[in-house]
Amino acid sequence: MRQFVQQLVNGTVLGATYGLIALGYTMVYGIIQLINFAHGEIFMVGAFGGLTVYRYWLPESLAGNVWVALPAVLIVAIAVSVGTAVLMERLAYRPLRNAPRLAPLITAIGVSIFLQEAVRLFYPGGKRQQPFPQLISSGTFDVAGVTVAWVSVFVVVVAVALMVALQVFVKKTKTGKAMRATSQDPESAKLMGIDINRVIVVTFVLGAALAAVAGVMQGMRFAQIDFRIGFLSGLKAFTAAVLGGIGNITGAVLGGFLLGIVEALATQYVPQGSSWKDVWAFIVLIAVLVVRPGGLLGERVATRA
Amino acid sequence: MTLLQVRGVTKRFEGLVAVDSVDLDVGEGDILGVIGPNGAGKTTLFNCLSGLEVPTGGEIRFRGHALSGRPDRFTRAGVARTFQNIRLFPHMTVFENVLVGRHCRTHVGLASAIGRGPRFRREERESEARAEELLDFVGLQREGGVVARNLSYGDQRRLEIARALASEPGLLLLDEPRAGMNAQETRATADLVRRIRDRGVAVAVIEHDMRFIFGLCDRVAVLVQGRKLVEGTPTEVQADPRVIEAYLGTPTG
Repeated sequence: MRQFVQQLVNGTVLGATYGLIALGYTMVYGIIQLINFAHGEIFMVGAFGGLTVYRYWLPESLAGNVWVALPAVLIVAIAVSVGTAVLMERLAYRPLRNAPRLAPLITAIGVSIFLQEAVRLFYPGGKRQQPFPQLISSGTFDVAGVTVAWVSVFVVVVAVALMVALQVFVKKTKTGKAMRATSQDPESAKLMGIDINRVIVVTFVLGAALAAVAGVMQGMRFAQIDFRIGFLSGLKAFTAAVLGGIGNITGAVLGGFLLGIVEALATQYVPQGSSWKDVWAFIVLIAVLVVRPGGLLGERVATRA
Repeated sequence: MTLLQVRGVTKRFEGLVAVDSVDLDVGEGDILGVIGPNGAGKTTLFNCLSGLEVPTGGEIRFRGHALSGRPDRFTRAGVARTFQNIRLFPHMTVFENVLVGRHCRTHVGLASAIGRGPRFRREERESEARAEELLDFVGLQREGGVVARNLSYGDQRRLEIARALASEPGLLLLDEPRAGMNAQETRATADLVRRIRDRGVAVAVIEHDMRFIFGLCDRVAVLVQGRKLVEGTPTEVQADPRVIEAYLGTPTG
């Protein structure tokens, strides 16, 4: 029983990161029906941005101060991810806005490889694993025999806060309403005076900012990053988005947590589960696609050609 | 006074001239009917007038200014429209649909919206009050919280009109507003169009229902194969042999 709860906790922490990244997939898909396969790399460059500020810019005296170091790392990570995403949208996707759907999809894969290789070749020591600072206490505490790391608390609290903030933004603000209107009927949205290009940029910016935070979290939890971390995390987060129903924001959060928990439990309870730990996500993906192709909360299957 | 002035507007698709140098005037307080057989180019003309399609030639002037470019410029200038096949935001509530219709008339940016400053709150209150007034005007005051796609067909049409009016247009383009309606709903729609005109909004309406058009409109323009064949009062148009010929064909042999 204790072990079960422990795995639930681990899964929730894992799922928080998946959920944050999944939101970027699902929002972009909701607006322009593009599976942005480079989104995992947006997550990865965010982590590298955070690492850079810690390693090269923060004076030694401040690097140990969590109230300075953590915000600095997060802000630069977000800036790097957002900047990359905006450039990517402007240079790679916007020119293909009216092209057949396959063209931007292939382009997204191209952007993904481009970003991985750029970090591998040009980041100092980018070919190898880079140690990532812990930033907050590496300690743990016990609740009823279940061990929880402080980093995990931070990850879950921040992730949930951001998810709630995003929901409020999309439901309540004028820009949020414009985003929903655009995803439901872009042509009518244009007629309402909504600047579609601006909505698309805002969507990429929001997704990138969330991915950057997830990137820093990932670095803190595993204490190291490399140019490949975006691939697997991105693929799993994409699975989470599909699991929840792609295009659906609540679905992405739900899918993220579910996937994290499934992965944690399967790793624990299936014989030799841990050597298969990256397989569960895709088993879930296949199962969802067979049983409920629209995802758990998705309903609009094939409403668009 | 002339509100909308259309001069020689032409829309060519590959090999097909959908709209062929059409001239049209809509004055303040007018209700103009646009009729014509299927494929006459009526909807394409409306698409040009609302900025969804860029005309191949000709000029559109609204309140004396030339209109071109993106559809949001047309909306801002004061042209609003509805669609033949209703195009609401299906997963938003009735109230939200109307609020989105006000998008181009609210100016407060993101920063002050997050700070929820006094200007933001005032503008938000104004928008909400206007949205409520419009729902009341079209008779949907009790449906504000309903998700749009759950409305009945007739109510969806009325919501689309309320949403279009939310942008405070000077001219409203209605594309087959009574399609799929029964006789009673049709009468209510005609009444609604008159009340819209009484608010000071000119209306141009595409319809196939002749009784509806001739009972409602001050003037009627007949489009046939992209060209304007006749324009005049309902009585003139009904009596014109060219119109009868266009609809029924010439007797041969």
